[in-house]
Amino acid sequence: MQIEVTGIRKAYSRKRVLTDISFSMESGSCTAILGSNGSGKSTLLSILAGVRRGDGGSFLYQGTDLLRHPRLIPQVLGYVPQGEPLMEELNAWDNLRMWYDRETLERELAEGALKLLGIGDFLKTPVRKMSGGMKKRLSIGCAVVSHPGILVLDEPSAALDPVCKENIRSYLDIYRKDGGIVLMATHDAQDLELCNACYILREGTLHPYPYDGDFHRLAKELREGI
Amino acid sequence: MRQTTAYFLAQLKRAARLLPGQIFVEAVVCVCAGVLAFLLIAQGADAAAGKRYRIGMVGDLSDSYLGFGIVAVQEMDDSRFMIELVPMSEQEAESAFRRGELYAVMRVPEGLLESIVYGENDKYVTYTAAQGQQGLGTMVMGEITDLASTLVTCSQSAIYAMQRVLADAGRGEEIGRETDKLNLSLIQMVLDRGEFGEVEVLGYGDGLSLELYYFCNMILLFLLLAGLLNSALFVHGNNAFPCFLKARGVGAFWQVLGEYLAYLLLVLAGLFVLCPVLCFGLGRELPGIPEWSGMGAAPFLAFLPCLIPVAVMFAAMQFFLFEAAEGIVNGILLQLICGIGMGYLSGYFYPSAFFPETMRAFGEALPSGAAARLVQAGVLGKIPAASWAAVFGWLAVFLTLTVAVRRWRIGKR
Repeated sequence: MQIEVTGIRKAYSRKRVLTDISFSMESGSCTAILGSNGSGKSTLLSILAGVRRGDGGSFLYQGTDLLRHPRLIPQVLGYVPQGEPLMEELNAWDNLRMWYDRETLERELAEGALKLLGIGDFLKTPVRKMSGGMKKRLSIGCAVVSHPGILVLDEPSAALDPVCKENIRSYLDIYRKDGGIVLMATHDAQDLELCNACYILREGTLHPYPYDGDFHRLAKELREGI
Repeated sequence: MRQTTAYFLAQLKRAARLLPGQIFVEAVVCVCAGVLAFLLIAQGADAAAGKRYRIGMVGDLSDSYLGFGIVAVQEMDDSRFMIELVPMSEQEAESAFRRGELYAVMRVPEGLLESIVYGENDKYVTYTAAQGQQGLGTMVMGEITDLASTLVTCSQSAIYAMQRVLADAGRGEEIGRETDKLNLSLIQMVLDRGEFGEVEVLGYGDGLSLELYYFCNMILLFLLLAGLLNSALFVHGNNAFPCFLKARGVGAFWQVLGEYLAYLLLVLAGLFVLCPVLCFGLGRELPGIPEWSGMGAAPFLAFLPCLIPVAVMFAAMQFFLFEAAEGIVNGILLQLICGIGMGYLSGYFYPSAFFPETMRAFGEALPSGAAARLVQAGVLGKIPAASWAAVFGWLAVFLTLTVAVRRWRIGKR
């Protein structure tokens, strides 16, 4: 199982944000997309998640171009956007019930992904009273409802404390080891330790970057260009 | 489809949590409005019963004829219940006028009576009013002044003609007596002017009594501004949720539909829980509406279904305004400005017949105007197809615009 992204393009009015983005990922891999603010990372992920339309290109998954068949995307891809896609007035249970039927939800809480994410601990807590880490875990829990083969996360560790980051990272590691494909946009050095491939998005083009654990060098590269 | 239904049910759950608060706020608003209306009506009735316009008389009041005229008006004329003529000096009148104790000052120039007696008609009584708003009152006042001038001038001409006829006929000794008789006839005619005709004020606005017109429009205004009460439902922390829904296969159209239906149910629940309760709370009949007098609560309950299409359309408009505005504060301000502005232009505060033709047509074309026409026609018993078309046309416009804005929000960078 692998994904192959080829020739993704996107322009807002006359400004080109993505120019011929191509990469591929194998089952059980994790890839990070790096780039300065406004470089187009979120745009790329949202195109792959079917939220926005690209101006061209393909996104092959098991031989099917998902951009041509966007109805398939929710079944095979889980997307966690920046910010929390949750209803503030409702509790964790009510938010999950939007996506899970009762039987599946109870099963997932007992032995599935929701158990791994530790959501059972705050099931009755209203979202507005949750910490950032709880919200992020709940968001991931909502995104993986269809047991997707691909998980796309937009800055999953942003504004989280180290313990929360570690919880999420543990889950992503398990997800990856179970054969899932993780694609994330991140600014966090620790997230990169999870990844076996890393790309820098600059001026609409994706550049492979061999991350060797030297985050200062990476920051310099991001600042000054490759 | 399953996820769209689940999303609608989740929105419904949100709305249900807001319902008790909304009903409480509605109840407070209705009670406040009711108490205010009652006080205003009671105060207005008291003021109308006891109010007399004080008019200061200054200038040359020494003439005995003029003095007799003032006494006649104050003692014998019907106007004595409304108007109090108060002779005073210039200084007293000026200070009383500034203090707001006088409604107007009437200045009689020196030699006015002599001028009239000699038929010169070159002196003018000056009437200075404190409230100078141009309207029907000032127009009528101008007409009455013209009429009085004509009456006095013509009657004096008649007296001169009579005196000459008597003198030519050698009946000079009868001139004084006949002049007095003619003057008394003239005074009698002026005092009996109430017999000339009758002014009947029907108080109708667009085919309804003013009471029913304002009752309909106050409910419409309430519905128009209901978005302010339900603003909590439109709080979107960020754009993540619509994007997430899209990624889960719930597109902009279904998102908007789910949210709109939940909001509409909230508005209708507020309306239908509160209105009948209030109606029966007010003694089973809404007082003061001539069309519904003596008919119990039935006409009001029959009137409620007319509000459903209006609530459906207004809810779509409020939803669109919140969607179009960036942030909750901007949304509330936009609701308020649009609600008040459209309500004013569509005659919710004054009968639209008061407005110029162009403004009236514009007001009627607005969503608030379409709603008013439908409700007023509903109260009269028959809603024309054009009213239905206008309301549902606006509904379609607002929902389409909301979907377009939501799509734009999801796709924007």
